[in-house]
Amino acid sequence: MLSNLVRPKILYIDDAPAARMLVRRLLARQYDLEEAEDGLKGIELARQVQPDLILVDLHLPQLNGYEVATRLKSLLPSTPVVALTADVSEHVRERVLASGCDGYLAKPIDPDTFVEQVQSYLGGARQVLQDDSFRREYQQKLVARLEEKVRELTQALEQNAELNAQNLLLLRNAERRAKLLEAGARVSRSITSILNLDELLNAIVDTLVGEFDLYYAGVFLLDERGEMAVLRAGSGEAGQKMLQKGHQLRVGSQSMIGMATASGRPQIAADVAQSPTHAPNPLLPQTRSEVALPLKIGERVIGALDVQSTRVADFSEDDLIALQIMADQLAIAINNAQLLIRLEAAHEELVRTKTYEAIATATGEAIHWVGNKAAPVPGSVARIREDVARYLIAAGLLVEQLPPELREHKYARLLAQAIYDLTAQGFNVHELRAELEAQSLNRLERTLSVESILEDLEIIRGSAQAILNIKEDLIGPARKRQITMVDIPDLLRETVASMGLHDDIVTLLAVGERLTVKADRVQLGRVFINLIKNAMEAMYKVQDKKLLLWVRRSEDDHFVVVDVTDNGEGIPPDQLEKIWMAFYTTKGDRGGTGLGLPACAQIVGELGGKITVESDWGLGTTFSVYLPAGE
Amino acid sequence: MERDIRVLLVDDEPLVRRSMEKSMLRAGFEVETASDAQSGLALFKQAIDTATPFDVAVLDLNMPDLEGRDNPDAGLLLLDALLKIDADLPIIVLTAFDEVTRAKEAVVHGARAYLVKGREAQLLELIQDILEE
Repeated sequence: MLSNLVRPKILYIDDAPAARMLVRRLLARQYDLEEAEDGLKGIELARQVQPDLILVDLHLPQLNGYEVATRLKSLLPSTPVVALTADVSEHVRERVLASGCDGYLAKPIDPDTFVEQVQSYLGGARQVLQDDSFRREYQQKLVARLEEKVRELTQALEQNAELNAQNLLLLRNAERRAKLLEAGARVSRSITSILNLDELLNAIVDTLVGEFDLYYAGVFLLDERGEMAVLRAGSGEAGQKMLQKGHQLRVGSQSMIGMATASGRPQIAADVAQSPTHAPNPLLPQTRSEVALPLKIGERVIGALDVQSTRVADFSEDDLIALQIMADQLAIAINNAQLLIRLEAAHEELVRTKTYEAIATATGEAIHWVGNKAAPVPGSVARIREDVARYLIAAGLLVEQLPPELREHKYARLLAQAIYDLTAQGFNVHELRAELEAQSLNRLERTLSVESILEDLEIIRGSAQAILNIKEDLIGPARKRQITMVDIPDLLRETVASMGLHDDIVTLLAVGERLTVKADRVQLGRVFINLIKNAMEAMYKVQDKKLLLWVRRSEDDHFVVVDVTDNGEGIPPDQLEKIWMAFYTTKGDRGGTGLGLPACAQIVGELGGKITVESDWGLGTTFSVYLPAGE
Repeated sequence: MERDIRVLLVDDEPLVRRSMEKSMLRAGFEVETASDAQSGLALFKQAIDTATPFDVAVLDLNMPDLEGRDNPDAGLLLLDALLKIDADLPIIVLTAFDEVTRAKEAVVHGARAYLVKGREAQLLELIQDILEE
């Protein structure tokens, strides 16, 4: 019946490796042996392999041997299933057969008889159960087991469902945290990119409301004395209204903000209805929970962040942490913005101080200089007053000589009125009359003339102009600058034109390209005005004046060079150094301001350039201005 | 014939010089001006040589001195030089601002008076007073 070529397949199901080894040793020579270490695997293997005999140990983990046997019999009805068991209790045979097995073998396996028994089962030996009661018992047991299993499963399922729910919650929290971090990062980005304080605060409150789905957010900053927390930004309409009203709260007052700013600790009202420090705000009627976080730099409180929600207990642990982090960053950003404001104010102050400094460094000389410039004015004014009076009185005296009819002439009446006014203005008309009468024409002509009056007016004008000019020179270097790219040939053309200089006197020679410089156009213009003026003054006595302006790049290409060359009297060698000293002037009769060159040097120096001078006494002078090239 | 009073005026500031000159001319004085100590001294010597000496000298304190250098005490140096030549010469020193120490110095050097510029009427009075002494 059994061919030599196709050996019978036996499936052995046992969780004990030692038993499996033994069986293998006993059966492998004659049969094809398959092994499985537990019931489920055994059932699966049986399906695949379709063995001729199945041996199953009854003590298997999970699905026990009985149940495996039952299952195997229903799957493979014609395949004999034989149980192995060490159980020697009463009725073991009945129970085994009740489960559907076709027989059983005792454990421990007896090597002498084992193979024979296997053979006989393969040959068709079967054991039959007589007593049905065992079958019923077995069925009940099965059902009981099933119930147990179902219960276990149900419990497992419930546990699973719970775990699932927890997982979901954790996931949601993780998502929320991620969103918070993202929101935090977004807020941080606006914080770091905006330095303007008001812009910053408005951006923050809007971002907070958007990212955290809030009802309202506001930022308070403490005033100078640290006594009041003043609202500086508030979201939405409510925020706008409160800002307009100048909403503020006293530090330490019975309010969330008051307490937060006084204590330096966050104030949380999970349910505002129950909070003693929350005062209902008619502009924000829907608030149910609120958090006030102090803004601190180290331990110093600079303000507070106020956030409100329409939901009770809306601020979780995570939310608070995220909000606090944001509050800390906001505090730093506010501090930075305020520092920047103070820095700008200090800079302004410094510029003002530099102006004072510029004046103060030349004080002694400056006072002397200004005194000198102002000195001629009172005298000149007095002379003009007197001369005007004398001319009018002289005319008046002439009118007196006229025949009566002519005294009613309009000019006669005009003059009469003038003399009347002189008296009214406090001039001693009588004395002046007497003086006039006492002097000969010759004498009079020497001191009373239109020329003299005009000269006095010119003295006044010249004095005033000199003082105005010096103001510009003093303040020039410290002036607030507006740096732009300045095309030098263009600037020179403009300067020459504004000074009204003749074409046959001035020649502008621009060589090459890229003759641009980064500078304040007005300041630089002033430098050239000064140099050109000096040149013109130097050429005062020269008949054929020639002024050359030569612009080009320096040899090393780093600078734009402007030469201002005149054919004037030149500067004596021993004075070449002194011309840079403040208020040193080759004053002479032309009244230079004396401050021009030092101011020019300072302006050019601040731009990173320099001025040099070369002169041939009697032939001319060249001032060379080196300016760092703009490109 | 009453000789006009001759005034030597030395100041390096052109407008100041011209204005003071005009005021003094109107007051009836004869005025000669110089813009630095060097030429001032020369004028003074020249006047003596031509027998038309100056009766009063009005000197700025701060101007190019006898060596042609800018010197805050050039006026005093000129003052010394002039007094060496004429010890009785009334000299009025001028400066652009009030300084008690300099006033004292000028007096120590022999100046008759010390005046802050810009008060030409005062200058004229001062000259009158000095000459009446």
